[in-house]
Amino acid sequence: MLIDVNTYIGHWPFRQLRHNTAEALVRRMDDRGIGLAVVASIDGILYKNVHPANESLSTQVQPFRDRLIPFATLNPTYPGWQEDLRRCAEELGLSGLRLYPHYHGYRLGDPEALDLIHAATELGWAIQVPMRVVDRRQRHKWDLAEDLAPEDIYTALAQCPETRWMWLNSLGLDGTRLPAEAQFLVEISRMTAVLQRTIQALIETTGPGHLAFGTGMPFKVPEPALLKLEVLDVPPNVVERIAWRNASEMLRAGNQGA
Amino acid sequence: MTKIDCHMHVKGHHQKWSWDDDDRIIEAADRLGIDVLCASIPIAYRMPTMDEVRECNDDVLSAMRRYPGRILGYCYICPGYQAAIDEVSRCLDQGMIGIKLYHQYKIWDPAVHVILEKAIAEQVPVLMHAGYLTTKEQWARQPKMSHAGDFVQAARLYPEAMLIEAHVGGGGDWEWTIKQLRDAPSVYLDTSGSVIDEGMIEMAARELGVERLLFGTDMTMEGGVGKILGAELPASDKERVFWQNMQAILDRRRAS
Repeated sequence: MLIDVNTYIGHWPFRQLRHNTAEALVRRMDDRGIGLAVVASIDGILYKNVHPANESLSTQVQPFRDRLIPFATLNPTYPGWQEDLRRCAEELGLSGLRLYPHYHGYRLGDPEALDLIHAATELGWAIQVPMRVVDRRQRHKWDLAEDLAPEDIYTALAQCPETRWMWLNSLGLDGTRLPAEAQFLVEISRMTAVLQRTIQALIETTGPGHLAFGTGMPFKVPEPALLKLEVLDVPPNVVERIAWRNASEMLRAGNQGA
Repeated sequence: MTKIDCHMHVKGHHQKWSWDDDDRIIEAADRLGIDVLCASIPIAYRMPTMDEVRECNDDVLSAMRRYPGRILGYCYICPGYQAAIDEVSRCLDQGMIGIKLYHQYKIWDPAVHVILEKAIAEQVPVLMHAGYLTTKEQWARQPKMSHAGDFVQAARLYPEAMLIEAHVGGGGDWEWTIKQLRDAPSVYLDTSGSVIDEGMIEMAARELGVERLLFGTDMTMEGGVGKILGAELPASDKERVFWQNMQAILDRRRAS
């Protein structure tokens, strides 16, 4: 059993992506034994008005609702996000939130961001934030977003202890600054099971309940993340937690279908 | 499937890296099925002295002795020193398999010519740190880092040299790199680096030919192996990338 907490569908304006439809994503999940995936729309990252991306996501995942758990994209600096949030929850069947403070021009601790975070939390939604979407060294000249700073993550955890967070594409987090009692998962696609052993280091500081499997499809090849689970030298029950159980518990806590 | 990592590093006086002991490299290689790792210790972001260069190479030689047959060595050289060629000879005489250049000079710079001529004479590859960065700020940190266009220029000067452009997955815009490198059919491209973008390996194979691709990790070990395993290529092509192409390079020196 595997739950991939880090997938997308849609178009990235700066590089052609393959396998970027819901159907192709499920096909690749099938080929690799991935049972469930949290998915959001790439389109919403760069739309000014992000909501059409949510509508499109909802339509595209409809045939695969037993496999794909759609998360909304919302921008708290754009007018009307409150109504969009309501529609996402009540009309579109979306069940979580993925935020892009670095692309939408705010910080997680800003008042308008906190309003959205609290509103999503009240709905029972988990909130995902990618530390980055693509590697900064290869970005397009118009892709000006910086990586999310670890400091912003520590601040968000302190400011919103009731929120269930998933930090995607994360690297360089100091486990001693991640409160073990907080509700968060760190996704492993940029971490390592061998050599630098950053997965094991985080387990040592925060315990085994704060890591989750993710691939980054369709931006990234899924095999490296799968290999990490294969070569990880921790007890089988810890691998199981990372592979699916931690994500399942976090998603079930909000009735998000895992 | 056999695997030869064409781009790896070991610890030394001038590079501590983030692992406590090079045993971690061997443990990782064992878990991932990597048979051989070709390693170096370069000095980055400044001009090293010849003494520092020799210390780096002495540390690589120590690693080769500690892990015979598992760790092969590149001789790191900063061009521009008269003693550089003697250092290459010293290292090759002790069993190193190639030359490693970093970003102190462009690969076509006249200061590098004597190094490339030595590599041709010795029938050894030259692996060079490279990439095409996309912002002025990034270039400001590495103003003399070679990109694929620089390799095209060097390959025209020395078409018989076995030049390896380092880390397509760690050197910025990989689509730019691959398209530019189409104009240098003698240049190899190593697949290492932390970027594991979907489609990167397939594009490199399609545009350059699978015979020009060399598997590497540059310390991103699961990513390095996983991006080849996950590439949509026939198993026979993956064999070429994982080890056969690099083995052919190593065999050229043995046959010379």
